[in-house]
Amino acid sequence: MMRRWFGRAIAIATVLAIQAQPAFAYLEFGVTAGGNQVKLKWPQAAVRYLVTNAGVANVSVADFQAAIGRAFGSWEAVPTASITYQFGGLTAAIPGRDDGLTTLGFQNRPDLDRVLAATSFVVDAATGALVESDIFFNSAFPWSVAPGGEANRFDLESIALHEIGHLSGLGHSALGETELRAGGGRLVTAAEAVMFPIAYAVGSIAGRTLKADDIAGISDLYPTGDATSVYGSLSGRVTKDGAPIFGAHVIAFDPVTQTVIGSFTLNAQGQFSIGAIPPGPRILRVEPLDDAEIDSFFDGSRTVDINFRVAFSDRIVIVPRGGDSGEVAINVVAK
Amino acid sequence: MRVICVLNLMLLAAATSAHATTIVPADLGELSRDAVAIARGRVADVQSQWTEDRGTVETIVTLEVEDYLKGSLGAMVRFRVPGGELGRYRTIVVGAPDFAVDQHVVVFLGAHGPTVPHIVGFNQGVFRVVRAADDSWVVSPPPAVAGAAAVRVVRGDPARRPVPLADFEQQVRTLAGAAR
Repeated sequence: MMRRWFGRAIAIATVLAIQAQPAFAYLEFGVTAGGNQVKLKWPQAAVRYLVTNAGVANVSVADFQAAIGRAFGSWEAVPTASITYQFGGLTAAIPGRDDGLTTLGFQNRPDLDRVLAATSFVVDAATGALVESDIFFNSAFPWSVAPGGEANRFDLESIALHEIGHLSGLGHSALGETELRAGGGRLVTAAEAVMFPIAYAVGSIAGRTLKADDIAGISDLYPTGDATSVYGSLSGRVTKDGAPIFGAHVIAFDPVTQTVIGSFTLNAQGQFSIGAIPPGPRILRVEPLDDAEIDSFFDGSRTVDINFRVAFSDRIVIVPRGGDSGEVAINVVAK
Repeated sequence: MRVICVLNLMLLAAATSAHATTIVPADLGELSRDAVAIARGRVADVQSQWTEDRGTVETIVTLEVEDYLKGSLGAMVRFRVPGGELGRYRTIVVGAPDFAVDQHVVVFLGAHGPTVPHIVGFNQGVFRVVRAADDSWVVSPPPAVAGAAAVRVVRGDPARRPVPLADFEQQVRTLAGAAR
């Protein structure tokens, strides 16, 4: 997917740039607390969670606990992120209840058709810190915890990995592609982020492994002591006919590792910023979010510009170690 | 007892709500098939309330229906979405679509038994109707519509433009009719 996207751009990008400027945002959740915007993140070193003491067909409580334990472990294993999680025991509490407990478990919600799992949370108004977050897995769907996955069942560990990303404060990533199937239906054909909002089809275990985009996100939210010196950031601005646009999807492609990290233009000035990315050369692609449910990324009140063609940076951008690329300006044209 | 005040949840530097779910994707044909009613209208009211078991908060949205593309649930239809704001608290079920009075939408509604309807496919069953530059009504972004052959969805495809409302409605009526 990435080589196809960036093949032409590699040929035309020629100029390098190094400047320093602090990153101001990533695709993360935040809160308004006391009139200020602060990142939505856990204040304590270890996030304590409980597991509902109820399994479903094919997945016992022990299976469930083990699968989500592996998913928590994947996030903890990111070397440049400091967040940790702590299993606090089994509980009769149900996820989605406003009880002050962080609970993960199954619920039968046939009314939430096509929702495999969802995360909800509660925020401390005074600090903006995340205090309670629940994840429910919809037992209306068939689940699997088999090491290699199972036909016709959704992989619990994959879905848990995605939802725990949310629980930790990460929003959705748009790094994925879908295909409309002949005769009806839609499926994911590729995803370069666990945080892509649409699940792989039943039987797939492709979502068990964090990608570069996920690692950058969690490292930016919970950097270890040396993360800021190990990583750099990339920032810039997207305009259309000279006017800034909101909601443009910006993808940074690393031609050496063939990995991608994405973000959006997130303010009225059309600015974007991607933090906690490994230093090195990047080629930027800007594309409209014209294939997605905008509600998965932005609230219904936002006007997201989807009327423009794909554009690339006209040069290779260098992300310096411990610094910022300096503003990269990209102009797009209407379709 | 809830002891924590929940404030607006938004993306940093973006003033946008957070959304986070894992969904099974649907195309327009599947949504049309699964919905018991498909309504176009104006959001007339948005009210949060405790769920029946008082465990959490939900929002009841009242739509002033201008037309039904499938089924009929009356001139004013109420449907529920998870989460909402009640008093000083806001409960967020991330991924749930949010609504504001006077928004124009097409909603695909489902129901399980004698309950207040819900949106089919979570945020997939909501299409925003907005004014285009020429003041006509369009649906944006365009829907995903499966055809006879498999098609990869390509972002930035010049053909992927907001759809005139009339064309969208015709498409939905056809798909809903075919699904009967």
